[in-house]
Amino acid sequence: MEKRLKVDHLSISFDTPQGEVEAVRDVSFSLSSGEVLALVGESGCGKSVLCRGIMKLLPASAKMKSGSIYVNGVDITKFREREMQKMRGRVFSMVFQDPLTVLNPTLTVGAQIAEAVKIKTPGLSRDEIQKRVSELLELVGIDRSLERMKYYPHQFSGGMRQRSVMAIALAGNPSILFADEPTTALDVMIQAQILDLLRRIQKTLGTATVFVSHDLGAVARVADRVAVMYAGKIVEIGTAEELFYDPKHPYTIGLLRSLPSYSKGCGTLSAIPGMPPPLLHPPKGDAFACRNEYALAIDYEEEPPMFRVTETHYAATWRLDARAKKRYGGQIKKGDENEEGRIT
Amino acid sequence: MKRYDFLVYFGKKAMLFFLSIFLLSVFVFYISRLAPGDPLLSYYGERAERLGPQEREWAEKRLGLNESVTVQYVRWLKNALRGDFGISYKYKMEVTEVIKGRIGNTLILGGSGFLLIFGLALLTGILCAWREDGILDRILCKVGTVVSCIPEFWLSLVLILIFSVNLRWLPSSGAGAAGAADDFCGRIRHLILPLTVIVAEHLWYYAYLIRNRLLEEMRADYVLLAKSKGLNKRRILFAHCLRNAVPSYISLMAVSVPHILGGTYIVETVFSYPGLGTLSYESARYKDYNLLMLLCILSGALVIFCSIAAKAINERMDPRTGNRNIAAGAEVQRR
Repeated sequence: MEKRLKVDHLSISFDTPQGEVEAVRDVSFSLSSGEVLALVGESGCGKSVLCRGIMKLLPASAKMKSGSIYVNGVDITKFREREMQKMRGRVFSMVFQDPLTVLNPTLTVGAQIAEAVKIKTPGLSRDEIQKRVSELLELVGIDRSLERMKYYPHQFSGGMRQRSVMAIALAGNPSILFADEPTTALDVMIQAQILDLLRRIQKTLGTATVFVSHDLGAVARVADRVAVMYAGKIVEIGTAEELFYDPKHPYTIGLLRSLPSYSKGCGTLSAIPGMPPPLLHPPKGDAFACRNEYALAIDYEEEPPMFRVTETHYAATWRLDARAKKRYGGQIKKGDENEEGRIT
Repeated sequence: MKRYDFLVYFGKKAMLFFLSIFLLSVFVFYISRLAPGDPLLSYYGERAERLGPQEREWAEKRLGLNESVTVQYVRWLKNALRGDFGISYKYKMEVTEVIKGRIGNTLILGGSGFLLIFGLALLTGILCAWREDGILDRILCKVGTVVSCIPEFWLSLVLILIFSVNLRWLPSSGAGAAGAADDFCGRIRHLILPLTVIVAEHLWYYAYLIRNRLLEEMRADYVLLAKSKGLNKRRILFAHCLRNAVPSYISLMAVSVPHILGGTYIVETVFSYPGLGTLSYESARYKDYNLLMLLCILSGALVIFCSIAAKAINERMDPRTGNRNIAAGAEVQRR
């Protein structure tokens, strides 16, 4: 399969008065056409910064420190604003977290979609633009589109606004779509509708999608592959099946274990103890070590590399090292988990 | 239905307007009478000081100044409602006639000053926002802060000293050369200095305001979406940010009319420009009650009208406020 997006050892930092905040640290992944990659992690672990960093939508205080980004085989690492402008909307676009604030309140929804249409194909006549806008609205499931394109965002419900944002994102027929927590600001019923819509559109248009979320349920619903981020790093990446049924990194295990359905019948919900480390001065060694109940001595000393589990499944934990196996009698298996907490 | 709504809306605003004017007239009437000073001085000039007690009493009776303030006010109000605002003590003619002769000059000075400030502030603001933190932006912001701190009368005097006294390029006072009041070039020459002072004093505050408003908008979330769909900076600034910033700017400019008007009055006095400003100053100083009342009411009417207009403009330009769209929103919900 063709690689739509390839990110190689990317690091992004913010200059703040207190010092340098390392928001994204040495992240590598790739995305094929027609694939949905989910980025999962706690708030502030760098998911959104990673997406916006790739589209170069970050404020001026953000710096790309190292690494490279390839889009459709082209190295865009050194691209300036002018070149990025040509790519945005056409090659990649983004659906944002909060549909209440990302639409301009003083322009009609139709006008805002029309802008994106005009960017993609300049020189369309008024009627053609209107036809395309109407098509896009129908595509994202807004009926009576000819009438509704004349409405202002405040006349739309939250779900309809998010659908409109998706229509804007899809207007340029992008080959890569970043969905930055598209369902977080919506209620549960609408969340499911938007997720199904995202999946359907992705299937029909074949758009490669990066789906950012902290909702594992949503991820299970849409993702082909999952990357788990912690403290600015990808700690585990694999197919959805591998991640959900055979997690290797203790953080992934902890995340799955904190799902309410996991604690059914236990009386208390299980949670990962502690807080994520500050990214201003990330700790030495594995950033997760101090919250990790299986932490090894080496976790506090040296950062673990990515260990290969299968062809598609990688995890950054010293527990996968050959020496660890010897001393602790192997990795955490599903069986072990059950003994520890699930069955009570 | 729609027509009826409009009439109610308009009626409410008109009521508010007239109530405010009424209150204003009461306040000004009482305060002006309570303030120390001798109105006879403006009527009889120097002679007033030589008047005997009996003559004084007679004169006060003639001008209707011997009764209590409330009685005087009621009489004034009755006459005013019939369109009779009395005579000016100083000019010995109808106050409306006195004002008619001067109002044009003030409208020219204030109006052109206002338009210049409005336009230049918008341009400067956009320029600064476009080049945020650039050299031009920094210089303009700093120059503006300094210039707007200079008192108007001082700046006027300095400009007169430089351009009228030393260089002899521009006239220092009046609105036109004597005997040639309709000469267009002469008028322009007389306008340059007062206009410069008015614009230089007020421009920066509004320019800075529009700059900050635009920068605030440029950091809004919708700019991210606009950027992510591939719009360029110019389109984002003009089609998106300006659209959100301008309604509040326009309503602010409407509210700022009194501010700029006040500035015009001061500048008029310094340049002896024959407009309402000098007239107000004189009438307040010499207790020319009737003239002062009408001037205050005219200025007040303008101020109140502008603030009501500001709100109306705001409602029309921002789709989220105003009856038209609330009705549309309700329609959406009904469906």
